[in-house]
Amino acid sequence: MILRTCPRERELAGLLHRGHWPHACPPDLQAHVPMCRACSDLLAVTLAFRHARAQSSSTARLQAPGILWWRAQLRHRNSALQTIRKPILGAQLFAFAVALVAASLALAAQAARGRQWLAWLASLPHAFHPDSLNPAALIPTTLLPASMPSFSGALWLLVPVLATLAILGGLFVCFGSDRR
Amino acid sequence: MPWESAIPNPLAGDALATPAVSGMDSDQFAGFYERSARPLWAYLARVSGDPALADDLMQESFVRFLTADHPSDGEVAARRYLFRIATNLLRDHWRRPRAHSLEDVPEDLFACASASNVSDSQILLGPALALLRPRDRQLLWLAYAEGYSHREIAAITGLASAGIRLLLFRARRKLAAFLREGRSTAGGSA
Repeated sequence: MILRTCPRERELAGLLHRGHWPHACPPDLQAHVPMCRACSDLLAVTLAFRHARAQSSSTARLQAPGILWWRAQLRHRNSALQTIRKPILGAQLFAFAVALVAASLALAAQAARGRQWLAWLASLPHAFHPDSLNPAALIPTTLLPASMPSFSGALWLLVPVLATLAILGGLFVCFGSDRR
Repeated sequence: MPWESAIPNPLAGDALATPAVSGMDSDQFAGFYERSARPLWAYLARVSGDPALADDLMQESFVRFLTADHPSDGEVAARRYLFRIATNLLRDHWRRPRAHSLEDVPEDLFACASASNVSDSQILLGPALALLRPRDRQLLWLAYAEGYSHREIAAITGLASAGIRLLLFRARRKLAAFLREGRSTAGGSA
């Protein structure tokens, strides 16, 4: 399609925009429009759209502006809350990742002693035998693995494990409450 | 101070008193709404061909307008920004896949007005617009109903400013041909 415009199109558009068509239009332009394809297209389309705009505008059913204002406020508030929650979620994820790393390190550290722990677990039924319930012999010989020199060694292991469990439990509770 | 108190609380009844992010207070917005809601609804209804959809999109446009950082250099720029939001919403609506059924088509979409004071072009405009592509309908409405310049249309639609002239020329010629054809058909059948 070749773009063929008319030099008088702009003049006609200006008259239509100002509402001067057809009464305040120069007679030569009035005579030109029916003979020019571009100008007659412009005139037909502009008049049709202006009428349609006036008709549609009069049939519009408008809501009260206060309702829209209130909805916008509500949405703004929700988006602000969302913005604040993002860093909190980030911190929770970071804490969860740190807890996972700590748990992994603890497991890795204990993996070397795995066999000894298995042996210790296997010896547990003997430890609860009535003959071995002598309080003096209980802790150092039967309940602890042979690799552990004393009860303080067991505490060294027990505290981080309990701490890890506490952190993980707290995180699960936190995630659960957040979801609710 | 708790962080929640820093956020406006519409549920507590202070929504009408609290200025929104848009930089308008509620009275200014009410005035702007009165002046621009009807033209916006006409644009959405005529371009989409669905008055119910136009209702929804108009409300959403105003809500987004209020929550966004719109240009603060006068009402003309604000209205242009509002039309831009509405245009994007229309585009999103058309892109969304959905099932079409006969019930989805509004009853008065292709109906001809029968009032005696309505011109031929006006009667034929609805069916002629339905034959055009949505983008052409948008361009034609913005140019000939709203009177926006090519640069403003480019800003509203996101199209390249250089291409608007050719696109408008093609769309206008097509629509004028439909109108002429419809007029001659109506004249022949009468």
